[in-house]
Amino acid sequence: MDTIIQQIINGLSLGSVYALIAVGYSLVYSILLFSNFAHGGFLVIGGYICYFALRSAGMNIWLASLAALVGAGFSAVIVERLAYKPIRERTPITLYMLIASMGMSIVIENIFVVTVGGRFRALPPVIPMQPVNLFGLATTSAFDILSLVTAMVFLVGLQLFLVKTKWGLAIRAASYNLRTAGLMGVNVNRLIGIVFFVAGLLAGVGGIFLSVRYTLYPQLGMITTKAFVAAVIGGLGSLPGAVVGSLILGLSEMLTAGFISSQFRDLVVFMLLIITLIVRPTGLFGKSVGEKV
Amino acid sequence: MDGYVLGIINLLAINCIAALGVSLFTGFTGVFTLGHAGYMAIGAYTAAILTVEHGVHFIPAIIAGGLLAMILAYLIGLPTLKLVGDYYTIASLGLGEAIRLVIENWQSLTRGARGYPGIDNYTTLPVSLGFLLVMGIGMFFLVNSSYGRAFKACRDDYVAASLLGFNTARYRVLSLAISGFYCGVSGALLAGFMSFVQPVMFDMAKSTELVSVVVFGGLGSMSGCLIGTTILTLITELFRPISQYRMLIYGLVLVLVMVLRPEGIMGTNELSLRYIKSIFRRRKKMSATEEGAR
Repeated sequence: MDTIIQQIINGLSLGSVYALIAVGYSLVYSILLFSNFAHGGFLVIGGYICYFALRSAGMNIWLASLAALVGAGFSAVIVERLAYKPIRERTPITLYMLIASMGMSIVIENIFVVTVGGRFRALPPVIPMQPVNLFGLATTSAFDILSLVTAMVFLVGLQLFLVKTKWGLAIRAASYNLRTAGLMGVNVNRLIGIVFFVAGLLAGVGGIFLSVRYTLYPQLGMITTKAFVAAVIGGLGSLPGAVVGSLILGLSEMLTAGFISSQFRDLVVFMLLIITLIVRPTGLFGKSVGEKV
Repeated sequence: MDGYVLGIINLLAINCIAALGVSLFTGFTGVFTLGHAGYMAIGAYTAAILTVEHGVHFIPAIIAGGLLAMILAYLIGLPTLKLVGDYYTIASLGLGEAIRLVIENWQSLTRGARGYPGIDNYTTLPVSLGFLLVMGIGMFFLVNSSYGRAFKACRDDYVAASLLGFNTARYRVLSLAISGFYCGVSGALLAGFMSFVQPVMFDMAKSTELVSVVVFGGLGSMSGCLIGTTILTLITELFRPISQYRMLIYGLVLVLVMVLRPEGIMGTNELSLRYIKSIFRRRKKMSATEEGAR
């Protein structure tokens, strides 16, 4: 019984980190209708900024995290301006942006391979890892609780931003129809910039937690594949779907690792994706979009 | 010619077959893929196991590898390509990894992550060039047939294509299955060329390489993808001493081509006598108008 509760908490904690990544990816998808594969790169950038801010600049964890979030956010905006803006201004074909994003993700990964090297780095022990006893029911690590809580705080913050602010309204309008939102007087370029900043920032949060969990290396961004899968399970472009899909994915991954074999984790993730696409092709929360001619 | 050059030509022919497959799916049908190395792995292991353990002649083994990859591609395509959107692309990311994981963990059949040694060195130069020739001609006729036109219609405007009565999902799945066959055969040939296969040979980097040569050469041009493969394979060989920059270069190529010339080197044109003539005619016309302006 203890192990089950413990694995469930671990799963929710991992799933909530996936959710941070998947929500940013879904946000970009809902506006520009393409899969931004460079999203994993923002996560790695956030992780490395946090690492070097702690190691070399000697900042405390709060400052370092802040630097990592802002840095990841701005790198997302820069990537958009350099690689996607010239393409989306010229052609409506989203395949070109998809390919460019794949290229960008390889570029970011290999910039780190070439400059700081491919070795695994551990963040200094600034995030508490000691075991915590949960009302005598189960024991889990403080880190899992912390990442679960932080992720929830950021997701609620995102929800408030989208519902309460003017730019949030503009983003919601643009997710229905970007062109019409532009015709209604929304500055589309600034809107896309804000969306990418928010997505990068959330990926940065995910990056810090993932680099504590799995140590930091340039290929860490590959983990976003699972966040993409989670977004598809939840329904492409749907934010609640991305969160629910991520939690399902985190839970099933941890339960597989705990009770079957940790080698089958990734296989289970893939099977979940295929089953979802067969049973409910648009995902849990996806709307089936009718194309207008 | 010495062995090294012969080896490169051999590898080039093998890569070209896989690139033709990806070109059909990404270039002519317009669906991006990041998992085609997985189909190569299926082909490679099928051919390896059939020739080594069951003593099958290599040609049926290669074709069996292609067919198995084709069946798998068809099964994956059915649920994912019905939908419009990046569903297949995301699934292909997982698929490539899943195939690799299965191969790594199925110790009794594939000998796991350490690789499968002792494959007969059956991919001689005539074999690989023969396969390339046959499959290239096959692809040429396919692309110029009514099926090829249907693929292009799905790529350019799937709404219009479906209004004209094409079952676009069926054509996309068909295109994926055929491209899976090409990659499977290419993988089988690679197994015979290296006489050793290992799961890491078919990782994400390989999938990315396949797609980048097609994008570089031109989405929707058969000769373009062959030229792209040739250039990028030769660049890889030339820059072997600085191989840690190889992936960086691939990434930059993808981004720069998309930003500067999204149609790739050849665009949708084929390298033919008429195309070469039209280039020269355009040049002549341009210089004529310049003289006229003076």
